[in-house]
Amino acid sequence: MVKKTKLGNLASKLVPWRIWVQASFLLVWLDPAGLRLHTMCAPVFHCYACPLSTFACPIGIIAQFSALHFLPLIAVGLLVVVGALFGSLVCGWACPFGLLQDLAAKVPTPRFDPPKVAGHLRYVMLIGTVLAIPYFFGEGHPLFVCRICPAGALEAAVPNIVGQAIAGSEVVWPNAVKLTILALFLIAIFFMRRPWCRLLCPLGAIFSLFNRISAFFLRFDAGECTQCERCHKLCKFGIEPEKSPNDLRCVRCLECTRCSPEALSLGSIFERTQSKTERAQ
Amino acid sequence: MDVVFMGTNNTKIIIFCVLILLGMVLLGYGAFVHSADVLPQQQDGSAIVAKSEPALIKEASVGGVTRDESGKIKQTYTGAAPKECAT
Repeated sequence: MVKKTKLGNLASKLVPWRIWVQASFLLVWLDPAGLRLHTMCAPVFHCYACPLSTFACPIGIIAQFSALHFLPLIAVGLLVVVGALFGSLVCGWACPFGLLQDLAAKVPTPRFDPPKVAGHLRYVMLIGTVLAIPYFFGEGHPLFVCRICPAGALEAAVPNIVGQAIAGSEVVWPNAVKLTILALFLIAIFFMRRPWCRLLCPLGAIFSLFNRISAFFLRFDAGECTQCERCHKLCKFGIEPEKSPNDLRCVRCLECTRCSPEALSLGSIFERTQSKTERAQ
Repeated sequence: MDVVFMGTNNTKIIIFCVLILLGMVLLGYGAFVHSADVLPQQQDGSAIVAKSEPALIKEASVGGVTRDESGKIKQTYTGAAPKECAT
């Protein structure tokens, strides 16, 4: 079997505690100290218009800068560094919007899987609503990403509406498209695992491109695999980890590493490991 | 630190190093050098201000800048900055 590394062991121990790791990261993103560091982006999907946001949303900034025809070097640089290090591990372990969907997934309702091809919508979303539409039509276009983003609606518009209502001032409602998308999202999270991440998230689309080359990756040892297909059942995203351990659709929740033969584990490019197959040679 | 590079990992390590270097250069250039001239909201003789990229990120996060008809970046407010993004 693959000699399990310290990293692999640590990851195996952390998997059952993933929701708590996500909750710990939430404390970083929710600005408990009131720092409001909006001169910098965070590598997660969290709206900067939220009253509780430490950093700026990289997707919002890329879209806004695209509308300004100004290169978002900080946001792109950050995503390249984080993507090269972790790939979509960020989605599974640090993203607050992912956490929300994971919590909703704990409600026992029937779940449906979207067709595999639907995952490509994320790239359409990224190229269309984050880059092309802002660049050619500006931030006023109704399909500008922030105008249709459910994270923006939930984390910014809703708290602001509540705040306005409590203060007794005139309530400014978001547009109908945004409200409709929010309603659809709130329904979908109870009937599909991570619908936003799997179907439309432009940030997940960017990180997924790094999955096959990132420093931390999912290691598969073919020599150890017993073809029991338990990993298929452990993966909630319809991926067959033994065929494609670093799939574009993977959010690296690492649930598949709980398969009993331990054929799958978290690895890094800096570790020396030898698989059973390699040692036999 | 005992870092051992395996032969099969060499390509991955090279790609990783190139990406990290690229990302750090982009981050550093964006944070310390990259800037844009921002026009005031009203053409009342106010000076054009050069804003760094971090300052522009902050402005963009509250809908404080827009692109005018001439293609220049323009402030959307005078005085205190808006509290939240218009979208």
